[in-house]
Amino acid sequence: MKTWLKIAVSVWLTGIIIAGIAFPMVKSPTTWYEFPFIPGLEEKARNIIFHVPISWSTVVAFIMSTIYGILYLKKKDIDYDLRSVSSASLGLLLCVLATVTGAIWAKFNWGSFWNWDPRQTSIFILLLIYGAYFVLRSAVEEEERRATLSSVYSIIAGVTVPFFIFVMPRIMSGLHPGSLGDEQGKGPVLEFKMATNMLMVFFGALIGFTVLYFWMYSLKVRQMRVERQLQQITDTQ
Amino acid sequence: MEFFENNQLYVVLVVILSIWFGFLGYLFKLDLKIKKLEEQLKK
Repeated sequence: MKTWLKIAVSVWLTGIIIAGIAFPMVKSPTTWYEFPFIPGLEEKARNIIFHVPISWSTVVAFIMSTIYGILYLKKKDIDYDLRSVSSASLGLLLCVLATVTGAIWAKFNWGSFWNWDPRQTSIFILLLIYGAYFVLRSAVEEEERRATLSSVYSIIAGVTVPFFIFVMPRIMSGLHPGSLGDEQGKGPVLEFKMATNMLMVFFGALIGFTVLYFWMYSLKVRQMRVERQLQQITDTQ
Repeated sequence: MEFFENNQLYVVLVVILSIWFGFLGYLFKLDLKIKKLEEQLKK
């Protein structure tokens, strides 16, 4: 990734953090930097700006892992396996962050950190699925066999991602915004009822977190390539 | 001090920005370290 893009995303996300946290929430906004007060959500609405983009980056990471899994099986190039595992590891990290930010929000909105809401249950299952991916990888020593097995697994795991993130929480009734039968909860994310300035910060965060993911991903891939090369040198000595 | 007592959101902002800058510093440093290793391996 180009240096200017790294600096740009750093500055961009710093601005998003400042806007997301420090812009005041008032009942009748009069200036561009005032967010409208959302009844029922109040100051807790700020979580949307961070929690949703992190969840989105999780989906991007898991889908990327699946794509590289397919490419590995097709071309048998070990570099694709390195890309696939790098993306899956970042996806797992982001998934944990999405779970934590969601649980903190749930504590203040629903009364407890964990409620086994369909959305929380689905993200918990995803954590288990991708946790098992790394258990599988650590159980196989031979490089090619490990790459083949984990590529097949990442494809199966990747198929479940859209279902657990986009489908299951919407076809079942629950507490999370967007759940079945929750007319009010459809609110800020699904129907984009957010005010224009809040919406701009939200989409800015979506773009920023996605670019940040790609930066972290490129670092992880490069680190794994170096690690592999060093391992090969050690093995030949 | 009275300003921060009445505007706790700014305290949160300062804490989060500190973590964020620390994370960014780590990423840039990691980037440089990997670059050095890549160059050494090329040689």
